[in-house]
Order: sequence, then structure tokens, then C-alpha cells
Amino acid sequence: MDPMASDAGFDVDDRSPASSGWEFACDFEVDYGSEEHANIVYATLAVDKELQPDKVKRQMSISDGKLKVHFEAVEARHFEAVEARFLRASFSAFVDLMILTTQIIEEYN
Amino acid sequence: MAKNKTLIAVGFEGSANKIGVGVVALDGTILSNPRHTYITPPGHGFLPRETAHHHLRHVLPLLRSALDDADITPADVDCLCYTKGPGMGAPLQISAVAVRALSQLWGKPIVAVNHCVAHIEMGRVVTGAEDPVVLYVSGGNTQVIAYSEGRYRIFGETIDIAVGNCLDRFARVLTLSNDPSPGYNIEQLAKKGEKFIDLPYVVKGMDVSFSGILSYIEATAVEKLKNNECTPADLCYSLQETLFAMLVEITERAMAHCDKTDVLIVGGVGCNERLQEMMRNLKNDLLRKNNIYIPRHCCPQMLHSETNGRRPAAVDSRRSTRATFAGRKDAWVADAHLRFGDVYRQKINTAIV
Repeated sequence: MDPMASDAGFDVDDRSPASSGWEFACDFEVDYGSEEHANIVYATLAVDKELQPDKVKRQMSISDGKLKVHFEAVEARHFEAVEARFLRASFSAFVDLMILTTQIIEEYN
Repeated sequence: MAKNKTLIAVGFEGSANKIGVGVVALDGTILSNPRHTYITPPGHGFLPRETAHHHLRHVLPLLRSALDDADITPADVDCLCYTKGPGMGAPLQISAVAVRALSQLWGKPIVAVNHCVAHIEMGRVVTGAEDPVVLYVSGGNTQVIAYSEGRYRIFGETIDIAVGNCLDRFARVLTLSNDPSPGYNIEQLAKKGEKFIDLPYVVKGMDVSFSGILSYIEATAVEKLKNNECTPADLCYSLQETLFAMLVEITERAMAHCDKTDVLIVGGVGCNERLQEMMRNLKNDLLRKNNIYIPRHCCPQMLHSETNGRRPAAVDSRRSTRATFAGRKDAWVADAHLRFGDVYRQKINTAIV
């Protein structure tokens, strides 16, 4: 099982419809090649909610042994700059934990 | 291993800058207890994100060596424990996530453990203390606790920062090394102190306050050191004497209040031999049959084991009402916003003077 390699597709869509208020979005999926493993990762990571639900939304789903994750975040303003800081922070923390979960499955399955 | 089946718990603790994985049998025997500490450069404290990354790197190697050292396989494990809180959110999450995943893979139940109760229970298991007044002193907590009317109750605590936090932050002012821990290096330097510098002494009933003392000594230190009026060693010595005298005073008051004769010191600051000595002197002063219990992890050569993976696992479920079996969905973490004292004050009828 090498879930991190081929099928992890990233799609960062910046500044989509500004009217929605959720300026940044990010989609990716990881193919675990096993419904059971994808379910374990899902159940492990679904417990912790996003810490700032008014700034970052996360949705997860499973199909065909693939874990699909969708992030949406509002923009962060730092003086004149518009940053995807909220998205970046949530995404990176999430991926760290997803990798840990994946390593646990690889080692103790 | 485990020929005659005894229940075995594997515990994960990572609420602060140390991560540990412990394997404990039902009778309290510690089968293994590997751990790793995140040590920051002198003058710096540990921040949540960096600390979480440290834990991420070490949790799986630690689990492997915990199982190997204990000579068990996942099949021998009966339950998985993790520190639910209080602590720093991101580091706590690492243990929680690991336990959730393992619980599904191995088909084992999860036990969520309160960090503070685990400190006390581990201390009782290791020392055999029956019903002590507990002085819980660490980098994040300073409390005098006793078991009364069916619950652990807090009889005195800090009203601002923890004693360990006060020491750690003063170590940063002096840019002492954080290896093995700032408190240890203050203790060593304090042994060379000769001159006592008067510091504020802040006991308020059964509570204590340290932040004013820290501000005072931070300001004084720069001034006095510049004028060569004292040495860093004198400052460490004076700070320790003042802080520990306050702690011993409120402990003694709680003992009198609860009519208990024994004291158990738990938490990282309990490693400090000067604090241990002052507490033993209390015993002599009282001229009674007091027992002063100090877990053997509170000794210099095992300085770090006080904050360790065996804590969650060593919890005695009969007494620790805070150790709850958690379904996976309930296996979340409670971060530092919920201080032990705050939670307790909300939830119990306080018996505080």
C-alpha cells in the first residue's frame, strides 16, 4: 500500500466566487486501496472538528477505498496582503495526522 | 510474557513537551516506559506546533520500543489509554489520533485519562501512599489536593501561573539550558547560592501566586546582576527558597484542614531535591508520624520519568472518576483552556476555604 503516491490529487482553487465568503478551497483524495483502511482513517480523523468553524470548513467522504477531503477557508488579511493562512494551517495539521494514521495502519495492520 | 493472563494497558502521554508510551499491568507493574523530550534552545519555551511535530516524529518509534521492551504483542494488550487533557491542544491530539487508529486496528477499547488525576494515581501506585494530601507541582499546575467525600478536591492552588512555569521562565531570563530541564539547572545553580535576596512572599489563604514574584525577580535580576550586587546563583537560591516555602506552607495548612498525616508530591517540580528536603523538614517540625511520599521518579537520575507514558496507564479506575472509557467518537482532547481547577470548580460543590 502506498497511498501517498500516485492518486493524491491536489486542486487549490483560490478566489472562487467571492460572494460566498469562502475564498479559498482545496480538494484532495488519497487512495488506500481498501475500504476498511479508508474507513479507519476517516473515523480516526473525523473526531477532531476544525477549531475555527467560522473560518475553515472540512468535509470528508469515502468511496472505493478512497478518502476524499474538501477544505474551504476564508481569507486572512495581514495589512494589505490577502493570505490563505487559515487554509494552510488547517490543511497542514490535517495532513500531518493523516500521515501518522497511515503509518500506523502500514505498521500494525 | 502474560502466561497467566493479567490485564495490560498501553498508555500514551503527550500533553506537554514530552511524549511517552507506557505499558502497565493491572497490579501496577511497569513493563516498559520509553519517552522522549522536546528540548528547546536556552531562552526559549516550547510552542504547540513545534511540540506537536516533535511528538509526530517520535510516537511510533516509542510505541515500537514500548512493546518490545515489555515483550508483548498487540494481542496481549487489553486497553489503550491516552491523556485527554488538560494540556496543549496540538500535542494532545497526536496521542489521541494514534490511540483512535490503533483501537480500530487492534479492536481494543480506549480509556481517556485526566492528566492531573493520573499524576496522583501514579504517585499512589508507586509509593503505596494510602490517603495523602497531594502537592501537585509541575510546569502547568500547582495544586494541593486531597481525597475527601468521594472526590479529589482542590484545597489550594495557584491563582495565576504554575510554580514550574515561574522557574522555567526565570531560567529563560538567565538563559540557562533547557537540557535536561530548566528547573534542574536552576536547582544545580541554586546550590551555589550564598546570599538570600528578599522576594515577595504571596500566600493567600490556601492559594499561592507566582506571577508577581516572577515580575519582581525578572526586574531585580537585571539590575542587581549589572551592579554586581548578587550572582545568578544567589537569585536561583532565593527564588527556590521563597517558592518552596510557600508550597510547604499551603500543604501544611491543607493537612491540618483535612486532618491527614501524609503528603505525596507529584509533578515535575517534585523532582527538586530542595523541595523534597523542605517537605521532610515539615515532618520533623510537626513531630508527628507523618509520611512524606515522593515517587521514585522524582529523583535526579530519573528526572524525566515523572512526566511519562506510564501515568495514563497507572490510573486506578476505582478512584479516578475522571478516567472514563471513551468510545472512539468521544476520544477527543481537552486543551489547556480547561484547567483542572476550573473544571472541578464548575462541577463540584467546592469544599474550599
